[in-house]
Amino acid sequence: MSDDSTPGQGLPPERGLPPERRLPPERELPPERQETADAQGRETAGAQGEDGGPRLTGRQRLAKAVWPPRVTRAQLIVALLLFVLGLGLAIQVRSTSENSALRGARREDLVRILDELDDRTKRLEDEKRQLEGQRTQLETSSDQAEEARKQTRQKAAQLGVLAGTVAAEGPGIRMTIKDRAGAADSDALLDAVQELRAAGAEAMEVNGVRVVASTHFTDSGGGVSVDGHRIEQPYRFEVIGKPADLEPALNIPGGVVQTLKNKQATVDVTRSGKITVDALRQAKRPDYARSSSQ
Amino acid sequence: MIAVLGLVVGVVAGLVVRPVVPLAVEPYLPIAVVAALDAVFGGLRAMLDGIFDDKVFVVSFLSNVVVAALIVFLGDKLGVGAQLSTGVVVVLGIRIFSNAAAIRRHVFRA
Repeated sequence: MSDDSTPGQGLPPERGLPPERRLPPERELPPERQETADAQGRETAGAQGEDGGPRLTGRQRLAKAVWPPRVTRAQLIVALLLFVLGLGLAIQVRSTSENSALRGARREDLVRILDELDDRTKRLEDEKRQLEGQRTQLETSSDQAEEARKQTRQKAAQLGVLAGTVAAEGPGIRMTIKDRAGAADSDALLDAVQELRAAGAEAMEVNGVRVVASTHFTDSGGGVSVDGHRIEQPYRFEVIGKPADLEPALNIPGGVVQTLKNKQATVDVTRSGKITVDALRQAKRPDYARSSSQ
Repeated sequence: MIAVLGLVVGVVAGLVVRPVVPLAVEPYLPIAVVAALDAVFGGLRAMLDGIFDDKVFVVSFLSNVVVAALIVFLGDKLGVGAQLSTGVVVVLGIRIFSNAAAIRRHVFRA
């Protein structure tokens, strides 16, 4: 910012200073000047008060340093450092402005996001492997039409369990809700169903009515209607799924069982190795929607 | 003038070349930039005061950057990295403001 001819910049007095500029003796003492120079970047009140006489004002010094451009050691060194500063500034600004959603996230959130992505990748890889296996079987099977029918039947059976058109059996839990005070209304039953679904229930029935995706619960005069079928107490849920997941899901603090018990209902959950869900419902043929995968 | 050119060239180079910062250095870059800014403001003020010295500027620039990075590094090791970075930024911010005030008094006489 300054060159060798600028007065009072901390150079040894024998280097390049015109003799008349050395006249004020108090500015010539090297230790004191060095001290003042060390204070740059620090608050040094009253430094400008020393300016006077032949000395330049700050504004003139700035103008002198900026124009005309002079190639001096000081200028080059400062230019190099400012280059580094500009580089760092630009890099930092650029890296802060991109993918800011993750940049601001806390470490725990990042770990969770990473875990979720890993899980998803694993599931998709599994699905891919399964589909590739099916394709290989279709391609290599001697009777391709029979193989395709077999796979279609498997698929239909899987979807039938979901849609409630076929009976299902497997491990799961039984839950019985007895309630004198009317606590187990449609809301409570719906909560229970949602909780069971979230815990991975695959097929459910309650008092002989199959629970599927479109099932609805309504209160109807002292009882509950499920899809229009009135059911009476006690409510018996038969649920197929992993018992070790389903039971804790119902029993968590503040969960379905505790809420119902707080309202004077009795809830009984038992695990079972073999639950049969044999209530069926008719597959409703959609009027407008057609499969788009054909 | 050449110094100002250096700053401009640095910004342009950073935006155009898009250099990749090593992962180990990345946490210290922002604090180092702020520390360097403090040194630059201090240097500008010293120049206006007529006491600018390139050697002092270089030493204060480098030591500012190193000390700031060191404090953040130490804070990370002690588990108070975020708080210590905030502290460093606050202190440097105060210094930048006081230097900017001195520069303003020189340039605008107000």
